[in-house]
Amino acid sequence: MIALLTGMLATAVLAGGVLALAALGEVLAERVGVTNLGVEGLMALGAVTAVMTVSAVPSPWVGLLVAGLVGAAGGMMFAFGAVVMRANQVLCGLATTFMGLGLSTALGHNYAGQPVATTFGHVSVPVLSSIPVIGPALFAQNILIVPIYVLLPALVHFVMFRTRHGLNMRAVGENPAAADAAGIPVMAMRFWYVTLGGAMAGLAGGYLTLTYVPVWSEGMVAGRGWIALALVIFAGYRPVIVTLSALLFGLVTALSFVGQAHNWPIDPAFLNMLPYLGTMAFIIVPVVVWHRMRRVMAAPAALAQPYYRDVR
Amino acid sequence: MAARAFQRLPSAPAGRILALRLVAIVLSLFIIAGVLALSGHSPVTLADLVLRSTLGSRFGLEDLALFMCPLLLTGAAVTVCGTIGLWNIGAEGQFYAGAIAATGAALGLHGPAIVLLPVMTIAGILGGMAWITVPTLARAYAGVNEIITTLLLNFIASLLTYYLTTGPWRDRISGAQVSTQRLPVAIPEMWGIVHWGFPVAIVIVIGLALVLSRTRWGYEIRIGGANPEAARYAGIPVRLRIISVMLLSGGLAGLAGMFEVAGTVHRLQGGMANNFGYLGIVVAVLARGSCLNVIPAALLMALILDSGIVMQTQQLSASVVLAITGLILFMIAIGDELAHYRPVAGTAPKGKAS
Repeated sequence: MIALLTGMLATAVLAGGVLALAALGEVLAERVGVTNLGVEGLMALGAVTAVMTVSAVPSPWVGLLVAGLVGAAGGMMFAFGAVVMRANQVLCGLATTFMGLGLSTALGHNYAGQPVATTFGHVSVPVLSSIPVIGPALFAQNILIVPIYVLLPALVHFVMFRTRHGLNMRAVGENPAAADAAGIPVMAMRFWYVTLGGAMAGLAGGYLTLTYVPVWSEGMVAGRGWIALALVIFAGYRPVIVTLSALLFGLVTALSFVGQAHNWPIDPAFLNMLPYLGTMAFIIVPVVVWHRMRRVMAAPAALAQPYYRDVR
Repeated sequence: MAARAFQRLPSAPAGRILALRLVAIVLSLFIIAGVLALSGHSPVTLADLVLRSTLGSRFGLEDLALFMCPLLLTGAAVTVCGTIGLWNIGAEGQFYAGAIAATGAALGLHGPAIVLLPVMTIAGILGGMAWITVPTLARAYAGVNEIITTLLLNFIASLLTYYLTTGPWRDRISGAQVSTQRLPVAIPEMWGIVHWGFPVAIVIVIGLALVLSRTRWGYEIRIGGANPEAARYAGIPVRLRIISVMLLSGGLAGLAGMFEVAGTVHRLQGGMANNFGYLGIVVAVLARGSCLNVIPAALLMALILDSGIVMQTQQLSASVVLAITGLILFMIAIGDELAHYRPVAGTAPKGKAS
């Protein structure tokens, strides 16, 4: 039982890391008032460029860096359309996803099905990794686990809720006109946080191929970008909660693995549906059960609205 | 601050939108040609090949019509939903659900085509409606974002199709992979390989345009989309209208799936939705909320898909089409926004106001 629990938690942490990175990036973008529906495409681009990079330069760090840069470039392109040109955010986001999925498949054509050249190896932290159950999950896997689950969310939480810059950032998402009047550079804030969010989606893709699923295949992102978007809503746009819910989602994924490994009498196709069904349940049930949830977890007031200085 | 040389209008004139969209498409084509040239393909030869094998031949035209048929319906599905201000990103899943329901009817029941085809049609529509029911109720009663719920169901529908075509409904006769056996009935063909679903889809789109513009229901939908608060104040039951529109939208996408399985593919296959649901979003955007515009928009999208087949013969991945579609969609989104700006007389044009 302990072995099963330990294994499940380890898988959950590994699988949830993809979602945690992408969702935390999307929290940044949505907090300044921009919905980036391009996450799925940027993750695919990050995943494929990481594979391509490590096959040329045998260092997972370089691969991860390139994935992040590609994500940032894609995020910048989206931000050019949705923030600078103020075009419809839903359309720009879908267009980014289409471009990302199409381009990644075309780029990855020669790499499909081959094992990734170099991945992040296991690193055991002495003492900590021998804690039962959580030790192997958190401290004996790849080196990115602690940054993803502890350092990044803590940093984002601190900046967002404990600094003046974070206050300004949230003001841009809630009331851009007032923020503008107070001298906060609305457009620059939106542009750079959307770019940063894109970079994190790219990193999430790189993490996917460099740790969790070390092989590129078409459609391997498999809706994780959309699940990340749903997690942001579920977590009420809060960085720490979004990271915890990514872990919860990792658990749902781990459950389907455990089911397949133990030959549960359920077809694998149905077990594979669990993450999607789980996401549906997670964004519908809380609002239905507890009506106040809608106000507590409300979206930034100016979310998805372009800001025009001269039109009120 | 720079001198304000441009002013933003609340609504853009149709002529300017059309002009800017043409610019957007031409610009996208130039970018695509540039990328193709860089990757060692001659854009001119490719363009010539694409034109000759789509508009320039009988087979090309038949393929166009076959591509248009599902795009007309999924495009209409996204368009009607957009009329009340909602996004149905799940047409892909509703398409599968319709195809699954129609296939189930065809494999499970026995009878002559004249009985079976109407039953399959109804099953397809109901399948699509069933697939959008949860997002519909969640949207109408709890305000849950329909973009994400409809989209997530796409993955579930695709997995369900995979399960059925490799499990209980797998082809036991010819042993085709991820596929059911050939369906016992098919929609009759009217012109070459083009089946009667194509004219029916056109009639449905025109009918929808009339319903939306001429009936009280259509009027209430449009008001509900333009200003939900005002609609509620005027006594329009917005919640009920949301439910009826979303179910209609799901039914249309389900019908597209039924037409595809009974008219074109003749078997339920994994991956048969071919992105038609997602491309329906592009069709709807091109159509700008008008059902009649869905027809030329579906034609344009079918042309792009058809040229994708040509590109595959030239060692280019079929996924390039998805990337091209994304680029055109992106350019058009920007073009539509720019169409809102009007130069203001008396000031020097110094670029857009910031």
